[in-house]
Amino acid sequence: MTTSTAISCAGVSVFFDDFRALNKVSIDVKAGQVVALIGPNGAGKTTLLNALSGRLPQTTGRIMLGGTDISRVPVHRRAAMGLGRSFQIINIFPEMTVRENLRLGAQPHKFRFQPFWRDVSGWRDLDEKACAVAEEVELTDVLDTPAAMLSHGRQRAVELGLSLMSDPSVLLLDEPLAGVGQAEIDQTVALIERVRHGRTVLLVEHNMDVVMNISDEIIVMINGEILMRGTAAEVQADPRVREAYLGSGDRDA
Amino acid sequence: MTRFWTRDFLIALGLCVLLLAAPLVTRNESVFFLLSLIVIWSIFALAFDFCFGRGGILSFGHAAFFALGAYGYTWATMDLGLGFGAGLAMAILCGAVFAVIVGLVGQRVTGLYFALLTLMLAQLLAIIMVTRLRRFTGGDDGIAGVPRPMFGGIDFFETVNFFWLIAAILLAVVVTMHVLNRSPLGQAIAGLKQNEERARQIGFNTARLRLAVLSISGAYSGLAGALLGALLMYVSPQLLSWKVSGDVLIMALLGGTGTLAGPILGVTLFELLKEVLSSYTEYWYGILGITFILCTIFLPKGVVSLLLGRDKSR
Repeated sequence: MTTSTAISCAGVSVFFDDFRALNKVSIDVKAGQVVALIGPNGAGKTTLLNALSGRLPQTTGRIMLGGTDISRVPVHRRAAMGLGRSFQIINIFPEMTVRENLRLGAQPHKFRFQPFWRDVSGWRDLDEKACAVAEEVELTDVLDTPAAMLSHGRQRAVELGLSLMSDPSVLLLDEPLAGVGQAEIDQTVALIERVRHGRTVLLVEHNMDVVMNISDEIIVMINGEILMRGTAAEVQADPRVREAYLGSGDRDA
Repeated sequence: MTRFWTRDFLIALGLCVLLLAAPLVTRNESVFFLLSLIVIWSIFALAFDFCFGRGGILSFGHAAFFALGAYGYTWATMDLGLGFGAGLAMAILCGAVFAVIVGLVGQRVTGLYFALLTLMLAQLLAIIMVTRLRRFTGGDDGIAGVPRPMFGGIDFFETVNFFWLIAAILLAVVVTMHVLNRSPLGQAIAGLKQNEERARQIGFNTARLRLAVLSISGAYSGLAGALLGALLMYVSPQLLSWKVSGDVLIMALLGGTGTLAGPILGVTLFELLKEVLSSYTEYWYGILGITFILCTIFLPKGVVSLLLGRDKSR
């Protein structure tokens, strides 16, 4: 495992008028690590992911992907540079089949110059890439099913698959288990375990059992700031973390 | 998406063939004038729906692209003395360029706000063309004597011959749009409509995609405008009216958006109702309005849904 930093930010703040959603947050994630962001609702976890992926412009601070400053790079260029993300709410192309979803995900990265009149189903490379990712996220059996007709857990897999189409080196996952039924949680966790190979993962998740199991490190956030950072054991043992959770009365596990 | 010959495409082709075959049944001049209007407005409605039904961009200002096409064709043929083909190219260019301008001005707004912006820009263009550019547009009087094509020794002042020409162009529009919709660009545009945020997050430059949608729609609209100018042999600021933008929206919704057959059916129904009703009552527009309301309630996906049924893949 290399020890270079895959993604980092320094002094990143996001203000909504007077409200400080993020206050001078600095993190760095080493290549190959799985790092979880936890904290009570409103702690700024999703805001941090939004700032990293470029969905929300940061008010101050700098964001680095590998050795490149991406603070001012628009969302679609960050995606092309190897930053993939999934969303808390399922964010896929509902009217398209799984195959069409994945094919579309590969399109911006695989073919820069394409004659517009060529039928998209004729692009063998796109299809092969879509099939390969479908296999990775276990969607091969529903390739030609419209995405809207899949179960929630499998739509999650489409969501994850879409994030993988650009061959990202860094994956930002926003509550990958949100809304997934108990029966499908193990499958989804296995999926995350599989796609983390060769990638760096920063995820936001409320399911503590899962977080403790799959993360190398955990960052605890509260009120837009970082409270502490450590291994699962260190975080569980820290009295401040308990207070933060118990104090807010919010413990989704 | 897997089949090339979708039901929607086949119905659209069938409608084109029916139109092309009309001269075998009748040679009545006024019938052909009506059919010519249907053909030209079908091209315009398809152009509008490319923007609205495919790209998910609502516009209340498509009259501007349509009218600029008509004027562009007139300028190219009458002032510059160019031929029919070059005139059409000019019309396509005028429509596309103004659409890009609208897109650039509206880069930061979406949805209804963008639609209102298109209306505003179209009205602005109308005012400028009537007052400031009178030398080029003939002001409120318009320009008469817009030429029809001349080639191959065919007399296109003969209504039937001109009709055949424009019906063939409609067929070409249907085929090119179908190919375009199935192309990588078409898929990206479908993605833009279904989930703009996701499209951006997987690496599409959605601002540029929106410009692509608008310019393609503007180009086809310009083409339709040029053909209307040639049919009437006259262009006027009437073409720039907000009513033109409203009519094309109603036609597309009536027929069924996001399809190829829908806009053609919508135009046909609209023009036929107008023709029949206006001979009985001066309140035909009101009755048309009621028909439209009933359609949106009972056939929310347009008249075309009767033919497409529940076929998901269309």
